[in-house]
Amino acid sequence: MSDPVPLTTDHPVRVASATPPAPGRSRRLSDRWLAVAFISPALLLLLAMSVFPLLWALYLSFTDYSATRGGPAHFIWFGNYTAILASAQVHLRALTTLIYVVGAVSLQIVLGFTIAYLISRRTHGRGLLTTLFLVPMMLSPVVVGLFWRFMLDAQFGVINSMFGSLGLGQVEWLTRQRTALFSLIVVDTWQWTPFIMLIALAGLTAVPKYLYEAAAIDRASEWFRFRTITLPLVWPLLLIAVLFRAIEAFRLFDLVYILTSGGPGVSTETLSFHVYKVAFLGFNTGTASAYGILMVLVVIVLTQLYLRYLNKLKED
Amino acid sequence: MAVSVDEAASTGPVRDHTPPARRLGGRGRSVLEVALLTVLAVVMLFPVLWMIETSIKENRDVYAIPAKFFDFKVTLDHFKDVFAASGGGRSTLSVSFLNSVVVAGVSTVLATVLGVPAAWAYSRFSVKAKKDQLFFILSTRFMPPVVVVIPIFLMYRQAGLIDTKLGLILIYAAFNVPFTIWMMKGFVDEVPAEYEDAAMLDGYTRLQAFWRFTLPLLLPGIAATAVFALIFSWNEFVFAIFLTSSDNVRTAPPAIAGLIGGTTVDWGLVAAASVVFALPVLVFAYLVRKHLIAGVTLGAVRR
Amino acid sequence: MRYPTRLGRLSVPRRKVQLAAAAMLVATTMAACGQDGGAGASAPKAPATIPELTKDPLTLSFIWFDWPPAHALEAFANAEYAKERPNVTVKVKTVPNANWHDAMFTQFAAHKTDFDIPILDSQHIGEAVTNGNILDITDFVKKNIDVKAYNPYLLAAYGQFPQAETGKRDENASLYGLPLLGDTWTMIYRKDLIGDKPPQTWDEMISVAEKCQADNPGVSGLAFHQANGSDAAAVTYNTVNGVYGGNLWDSKTRKIEGVLNDAAGQEAMDVLVNKMKPLTAKGSGNWFIDEVNAAVAQGKACIAFNWIAASGGLLDPKQSTLGTTREQILDKLGFATLPSQKTNLVPLGGMGMHVSAYSSETNQAEALNFMKWFEQADIQKKWAAAGGVPSRTDALESPEFLNAQPFNKVYTDSVPRMRDMWNVPEYARLVDIENTNVNAALNGAKKPKDALDDIAKEQQGVLDSSGRKGGGGL
Repeated sequence: MSDPVPLTTDHPVRVASATPPAPGRSRRLSDRWLAVAFISPALLLLLAMSVFPLLWALYLSFTDYSATRGGPAHFIWFGNYTAILASAQVHLRALTTLIYVVGAVSLQIVLGFTIAYLISRRTHGRGLLTTLFLVPMMLSPVVVGLFWRFMLDAQFGVINSMFGSLGLGQVEWLTRQRTALFSLIVVDTWQWTPFIMLIALAGLTAVPKYLYEAAAIDRASEWFRFRTITLPLVWPLLLIAVLFRAIEAFRLFDLVYILTSGGPGVSTETLSFHVYKVAFLGFNTGTASAYGILMVLVVIVLTQLYLRYLNKLKED
Repeated sequence: MAVSVDEAASTGPVRDHTPPARRLGGRGRSVLEVALLTVLAVVMLFPVLWMIETSIKENRDVYAIPAKFFDFKVTLDHFKDVFAASGGGRSTLSVSFLNSVVVAGVSTVLATVLGVPAAWAYSRFSVKAKKDQLFFILSTRFMPPVVVVIPIFLMYRQAGLIDTKLGLILIYAAFNVPFTIWMMKGFVDEVPAEYEDAAMLDGYTRLQAFWRFTLPLLLPGIAATAVFALIFSWNEFVFAIFLTSSDNVRTAPPAIAGLIGGTTVDWGLVAAASVVFALPVLVFAYLVRKHLIAGVTLGAVRR
Repeated sequence: MRYPTRLGRLSVPRRKVQLAAAAMLVATTMAACGQDGGAGASAPKAPATIPELTKDPLTLSFIWFDWPPAHALEAFANAEYAKERPNVTVKVKTVPNANWHDAMFTQFAAHKTDFDIPILDSQHIGEAVTNGNILDITDFVKKNIDVKAYNPYLLAAYGQFPQAETGKRDENASLYGLPLLGDTWTMIYRKDLIGDKPPQTWDEMISVAEKCQADNPGVSGLAFHQANGSDAAAVTYNTVNGVYGGNLWDSKTRKIEGVLNDAAGQEAMDVLVNKMKPLTAKGSGNWFIDEVNAAVAQGKACIAFNWIAASGGLLDPKQSTLGTTREQILDKLGFATLPSQKTNLVPLGGMGMHVSAYSSETNQAEALNFMKWFEQADIQKKWAAAGGVPSRTDALESPEFLNAQPFNKVYTDSVPRMRDMWNVPEYARLVDIENTNVNAALNGAKKPKDALDDIAKEQQGVLDSSGRKGGGGL
């Protein structure tokens, strides 16, 4: 991981399909230097800015170091880890994060797929429609968070104003336990449904026409066609989209920071937000590092499991 | 990544086909679908429209209950406030916009300069444990920023990079390099290696072949990739808020977030600042609309 | 990922070894550079006399959060201090309120600050002193400041550590700062709705608000801080706690459990959640300074509580629906000291000036000179006229101050009644625990009694946790 870029020469070469058969030794040598010269700057930056900090965090996670209190760091080995894993506070945040991730991602799949499906059935204006739907995804989370906070304001917000016109009562969107988490999910869904839509649309427009024609000849029902032709072709793409969204949602911070700052109480505090509090309110750098390392581990392990599942799905 | 993402997505580029024949239901169903699509479009776009409306409303209309949708007096004062300070001169908000331009711009150039050659090398040469390397590169992108910011903070403290534009530029570049490599590798894969082989038979070196024949073909891809990197750095908030604190370094996202939490909130100003901030992104996104899918999936899904 | 080669599983053990090796390497490096902070267990001392000042151009930087007093300070200092020191420019850097503590203390942690004078909240002093981030100015104050000109508690609150007893100053304790801006809560009431005379007791205030709300549909009885960020909900509870005779802690024995949640504390929580909260607007559970101001300006509250220093905007006709001129607004809005009940305590707000331990010596000398200049009688009066809240008794009683704003008299009358929170290094954690729990109680996410017991238990845990191994801060 941390050694200089190893290159293959004397190795049974896994030749990339694009690589031409190497004609001579000198050519291969110069290619090797070229590869080193081209790849190493990028890798060096990543080593310095991603790997080294991560290793540093790993080291700190075994200590009681504090960034402000100064003084040397004492090794307490797994003290931070056991404290985190045993903490009821952490369990609470994990549950909140889980509800949030599952809620937001499933809502986005349903909506995103629906929109994509509807768009794919239009012949005219598809490009324009797609572009319009994509706007929320391009906005900064800061802008999204601030503006939804304004719109969801119980007193002056436009949402409650519209509810009022419909004869419905005021809803406390951001200040009740259930509604606050729900609002967070809604806002995330608003911003990221276009992501799922975009990917689903790619799959839908790629379904070969002849498959439908064949099905039409067989007088297959609409639902049957959807289930046996459309879905199997779009599904793998959607699963990858889910992976991306789930990882993003898992590490959510900025929206919480702006929309609810974790409230009411701590009921919308996600794991990321809790890490922030541990790291910057008490400056318990060691604990926060261990907390962060655990989060990274969760991402890596779950991603690997998910990808393995995807692979298996593909083989069947 | 043990799955070949491309394969999973390799249903092939069949673009210009008509939608599946509509047989059942006929017109009634079509109307229903259009209606549903319209409703969804209105719901998705309403917040954006509301933001634009708020940015041109006078403050007393902003708070009006019931909300005013059409009959309000249009004013451009908020947009003026975004750029000009109340006492004359440049507002801190406009300074932060400039900072954003510098930070996002330079970090994008850096990521492109580092990422494009690496992507080419990964595509053309047999590199040991290539898949591991590529997965590792991508995985650095998936670390929660709040987690990364702790050791980065300590590191920057030693290096004196806290509250500097250079610090932000480096971390943004490091976050964009994985994306650039993944996205560009797809573009490089699409350019046949035979071009370079032919050039080399003509006596060019590999480097010259890359420079004179492949690179020009990659330019549109590079432009698209750079635009996405630009958007990522432009919108970034977490690193910005923890690594910077002074007016002449702070980028726009924390500056806009700082508009609330004083003693009064000027939502008109927040809206105007948001509109100004979002506009370049939307324009850029429109320019690279063909590559959006690859762009938002870090190059993992292409079509 | 075009090439369907499988992951190289064989290489995993080797990579683990490399990882471990790298970690060891980092650990050694860290141990080597971890010593830099070792010395900073106590604050460095400032000289008793101001060293010679530079004649070269110099920028003296403050850091504060973004609110009107910060802009007033910059304008005032550049206009007035420049008369004495023409080569000096004053810059007040501002950060969002929510980010204020983090912005200052991350720079302290970096041992490099881009400010010379941090404006700390009074409860931040303990953390800064313990970490050695600000200068000990005890000797400087003895030599240069006329301490008799102040209410002793004001000097103590913005400078002394360890914390003074409420209302007093320990003359033997060290000082680390001088008052910059005084502040407390004011009660803002609608004269046109509840009459000219403000309610005198807390119970009376609640019943007046109740009646006002019933009489005026669309207007809520009360508006106050309930948010879970900054110190919003915590100050609200602490205020009610003080008024109903409760205590936040026993500072001598460092006991919170059993003190905060005693009978008086429970009663205060009950009053806040069950009597006051029902009189507030729906969805006001995340309100802080600006939302309370908006509610008053929009005519949506009978009685509101807010910091004095943040109330100036209420008189701006451009932001108000109460009138088109300042006079019209003042016909409707009254400002009064807080009602009392079992005690007459009010929350101490405001901030002091401190000197960053990481500034250059030239800048530190200039900072000391600024502080000496700022605490003079005539300058304090000018600061009052410029919109600031001074601390010297003579300035507080001067017509310059009392006539500058309608709520300034409220401050002068409140000075002898003030009480602060805990000024300890663990402050940021303590206030977060209180904020989130009070906010939870106000918004129905926790029962009031459970919330109070949780606060006491968790805060006690923070105070007691200094010797614990691992998991600090969870």
